[in-house]
Amino acid sequence: MKIADQRDRRVISDLAKEVFERTGENVFLCYQCRKCAAGCPNRTFMDSTPTELMRYLQLGMVDEAMKGNTIWYCLSCHTCSARCPQGIDIAHILNTVRMLGHEKRLKVKTNSAMLFGRVWMRMVKYTGRVYEVGLIGLLNLLRGKPLRDLPLGIRMLKRGKLRLLPSITRPLSTMNMFCRARKLDR
Amino acid sequence: MRIAYYPGCSLHSSGIEYDISTRRICRALGVELIEIEDWICCGATPAHQCDEIMSLALPAKNLVLTAQRSKLKRVVAPCASCYSRLRFAQDKLKDEKIRRTLKHVIGSECPRDIEVLHTLDLIVEVIGIDAMKEKVVRMLGGMKVACYYGCLMTRPPEVTGKERFENPGDMESVMEALGAEPVDWNMKTYCCGASFALTQTDVVLELTRRILVDAEAAGAEAIAVGCPLCHVNLDGRQRQINGKFEDRFHIPIFYFTELIGLALGIGPGELGVFRHLTEVEELLETRALI
Repeated sequence: MKIADQRDRRVISDLAKEVFERTGENVFLCYQCRKCAAGCPNRTFMDSTPTELMRYLQLGMVDEAMKGNTIWYCLSCHTCSARCPQGIDIAHILNTVRMLGHEKRLKVKTNSAMLFGRVWMRMVKYTGRVYEVGLIGLLNLLRGKPLRDLPLGIRMLKRGKLRLLPSITRPLSTMNMFCRARKLDR
Repeated sequence: MRIAYYPGCSLHSSGIEYDISTRRICRALGVELIEIEDWICCGATPAHQCDEIMSLALPAKNLVLTAQRSKLKRVVAPCASCYSRLRFAQDKLKDEKIRRTLKHVIGSECPRDIEVLHTLDLIVEVIGIDAMKEKVVRMLGGMKVACYYGCLMTRPPEVTGKERFENPGDMESVMEALGAEPVDWNMKTYCCGASFALTQTDVVLELTRRILVDAEAAGAEAIAVGCPLCHVNLDGRQRQINGKFEDRFHIPIFYFTELIGLALGIGPGELGVFRHLTEVEELLETRALI
């Protein structure tokens, strides 16, 4: 299945350059020692390892980098970045590639990580804080699994571990921050 | 000693025991925690996965609030994720360009001299293990504890400033001082899958199970943690893991602050340990801590 087409390829003709401009990380420093792949707790769930992803970036293989689930299965645990002998912040690169794919509207194989991020950020934008019960409920609804983790939720509720009402702090000031950040992006 | 306190969203709901026990032991150890007025969410992992600017602006805003509202130079963030984000922002503020951007987004100058501490740093570096030990009234009776740091308490080392980021030892030193026996194990800084907790439960169950398996193999009777997300996964998901993998785990998961509190003679109910989903009564009874 071809996911990124020629037009996309032109948009990010030089993926490595784009990554460098955004993160200051040079993917060409990677010499494929596979320490990141060996340390990644989630590699068993990934289509290709972080090491392979670095090679895709070096070679400008946009399709391969975007269509696999690797970028979406990064837990941001920073094990790869901490262990890289070349000091490359691999987790930051994975995040950036994920955002790039989203911004350029590439059709990417995704899991619900992006949805989670968006719901979370909306919640922070409008209420200033994350309201766990609302977040879980909303995510479950949007994913069509309203009863997911319900027994766990009930047990937590019984022990007083869930707050039923949201706490809202100065929403206007937070919303203004988001708006100013959005303008800067443009 | 007055120190600013940034509880974070989790400590107001699913990690409430961590909030209760942190406040309680700080009071017992002579530290006054001043909660930052109007603090907002630090953005946690979702922010830096989808919005680069806000992932720095949100924690930076909290640093601004620390300086302006509480007028203190040190802030304690018990949640490993909040701690990491605040330290990240602090680190990035060294860059002139980022500082200007954040000033524009937040609307005021960001302070660069705020020291961000995790509760463990507060105990080890500020209060001191010896000073804490003086106040211990009942030892934990050689309880075998696996000290679990997870990802963000030590990583990335250039942000947390931890030299021993692969094999940290601060929590072990604290546990030894309390009369517990820290076990040698491999999963100290392994990831529990926290950021996937609400989206990819299969991943979380697998990763959390690896941690429980190793702790049990090392002979641990309990696991001590310093992060509310690790706690929810390790404590709350044991039943799901037992169901899915036909295991029979029943390992009490404590916040390390709860264990300090018990040793300081504070009642277990007062520390919130009965709110855990994996019951702790049996273990505490064998050590005469109830």
